[in-house]
Amino acid sequence: MTVAVAHRRPPRRVLPSGGRRARRADQLAGWAMASPAVFFIGLFGLVPLVWSFVLSFQHSNFQTSPTWAGLSNYRALTHDPVFWQSVRQTLLYTVLFVPITLIGSLLVAAALNRKIRGITVYRLAVFVPVVTSTVATGVIFGWLLDPNYGVVNSLLEKAGLPAQGFFTSTREALFCIVGMTVWGWLGFGTLIFLAGLQSVPKELLEAAAIDGCTRRRAFWSVQVPQLRPVSAFLVVWLTINALQLFDEVYVTTKGGPLHASTVVVYYLYQQAFQFFHAGYAAAIAYVLFVAILALTLGELWLTRRLDRDRAS
Amino acid sequence: MRRTRLAPIAAAAATLLALSACGGGGGKSKGISPTDALDHPLTSSITLWHGYTDVEAKALQTLVDQWNSDHPSGKVNAVFDGGNDSALQKTTAAFVAGNYPDVAYEYGSSTNNLASQSKLVDLTSLVKNTPDFNWNDFFEGERLASTVNGKVVGIPALQDNLALVYNKKLFEQAGVATPTNDWTWQDFRDAARRLTDSAAKQYGWAYVNDGSEDTVWRYVAMLWQGGGQILSSDNKSPAFDSPAGLQALQLLHDMAVTDKSVYLDTGNGDYLNLFNSGKIAMLWTGPWDLSSINSDVDYGVTYLPAPTGGTHQTISGPDVYMLFNHSTAATNTAWQFIKWFTSPEVDLQFSIATGDLPLRQSVTTLPDYQKFLDKYPGDKVFVDNLNNVKNARPNIASYPQISSAIGQAVQAVLLGKADPKSALDSAKSQVEGILAGSG
Repeated sequence: MTVAVAHRRPPRRVLPSGGRRARRADQLAGWAMASPAVFFIGLFGLVPLVWSFVLSFQHSNFQTSPTWAGLSNYRALTHDPVFWQSVRQTLLYTVLFVPITLIGSLLVAAALNRKIRGITVYRLAVFVPVVTSTVATGVIFGWLLDPNYGVVNSLLEKAGLPAQGFFTSTREALFCIVGMTVWGWLGFGTLIFLAGLQSVPKELLEAAAIDGCTRRRAFWSVQVPQLRPVSAFLVVWLTINALQLFDEVYVTTKGGPLHASTVVVYYLYQQAFQFFHAGYAAAIAYVLFVAILALTLGELWLTRRLDRDRAS
Repeated sequence: MRRTRLAPIAAAAATLLALSACGGGGGKSKGISPTDALDHPLTSSITLWHGYTDVEAKALQTLVDQWNSDHPSGKVNAVFDGGNDSALQKTTAAFVAGNYPDVAYEYGSSTNNLASQSKLVDLTSLVKNTPDFNWNDFFEGERLASTVNGKVVGIPALQDNLALVYNKKLFEQAGVATPTNDWTWQDFRDAARRLTDSAAKQYGWAYVNDGSEDTVWRYVAMLWQGGGQILSSDNKSPAFDSPAGLQALQLLHDMAVTDKSVYLDTGNGDYLNLFNSGKIAMLWTGPWDLSSINSDVDYGVTYLPAPTGGTHQTISGPDVYMLFNHSTAATNTAWQFIKWFTSPEVDLQFSIATGDLPLRQSVTTLPDYQKFLDKYPGDKVFVDNLNNVKNARPNIASYPQISSAIGQAVQAVLLGKADPKSALDSAKSQVEGILAGSG
């Protein structure tokens, strides 16, 4: 009985002031240890963020003193046809890239989530594109998809199909970039999904098997629902990266032909470092920043709601 | 790296940031009176940034070492800046950090951006009032490229131009007479057509078709050949929408779309590999490509062909050394060094070591010039061709945008997406917008 009472009553704290002092010392130590990171993140993260916000209200060519522009950079954006084209193309790219990568990496992860001989080799093979430099990827795809001398077209011709323009065609360039980036990101998604699959409790699968569930059914009805948090993370991550697409465009089409693969960040780069319209480029960056923020918050909200619906 | 697509945007933002600061900082510096730097005894060492690699870097260092041993109180420290492609970005960023060089190698297209930099040394009176510098000895195209709004902002560093380079064997096999300096566009078009074999994927000509300046400048040469200009003489309105501009686009259309005799290079530079493997018979290219042509390819070089009633004009893209002021003493050293480095005798040494074209007319009269020709036989035509450089692209801050608009027009025509007239009209209205300041 006395034991139970003692349990119910929290032990009285001895030396409350000393405890507080100790806690403050802990906090100080914590901040001291975190301060280099805080300093550098602040310096290279927050300061540029604020500064480019200011820049977006200025006309600047990087050389002479900037002049105040008010809202004119933002206003000019609203009737810049190339900007809107780049927005449409970025959205089209995102709508294709995110689901294809997501479903593709889920399937690959499922295929790799088994114990067969040499599985490490397969897993490694899938992951290699992720660590391959984008420049190398771009050059290789450029060769494969060369309209005249590329392997893909010569295979198409052997199969009696018409040769394609790929990166040189205004209709196909963006889709080629989708293909190339899906190839490059599949390994990343697979890695995440594989980790997710392996953390699904074995008991669940065993219980399903005892209930007479097929392997395929167990995958879709037991494992996939367990992957929801992992998928939510991937969707957000892939979306952010899709909206910030740049490297692959830079190393393959340079936004062409005829702006057909110009995406927002590439256009930003062009404005800033080819035309030296620093203020205008900063305005584009801010519009993109707000769009990404809104989209990410939207996705997170949606995931939480779905989770709540499921829980209730 | 792939997973950090955030990186470019963050880097871009940070650079935007960092760079924007320099605008403010730049205004406070004291300007230097150029004549202050004239012929004082050297008391300061300087730093020179360049993007040379390989043979050129070695040749530069050899000459710098020679200068340093003769001038112990005014030494030059030559620093590789990571490559000429990014020289403008690097120098611009360096102004913020305050560690900008005394001399920097810059592309001619960068001059108008750096012309407004307050640290820049205005060389106008210096080059014109220094008798032994002999400014007019530099080829005309170089002098034009070094001048922004009448102000001399740099000293010529590299000279090139476009000429017709052809594979002799392919001409022989097809039984086509080889190009001459008197060729017309019609001769050129006919030859390209006859040298094209679509089954063997062999083309008469190659054209860089990424819409960049690489696409534009070949078109600009054709525009000038027909007597056209990019902009009006006051740089206030477009002038390429002329019969000369149309006729040039028409030729591109006729060759690429009608004859299909042109390999359209997406900008990855494959044209040279294809030329080496005998898939392309003719190129319009510069001396920089000669060293990459395989030794088993027997090639010839001639002037560019001319349109009926036109000229064999070509285009050059000269690069410059720009001087930035730290102190009078440093600028004095910088000027003395550059003056020496671009003097005819030293320039010839550099040319002999590298195969780069001489910067000055008088170099071709030096006794050792023959050594250069013997060592680089293909360069002879390129040197003669310097006299066909009569025009320069406008040195104005909005040129990259104008170039982009023209690039889109040329690309649209080559891809068969637009007829020459409507492509030209659309480029014209875009350029009007750019020049009016709304671009």
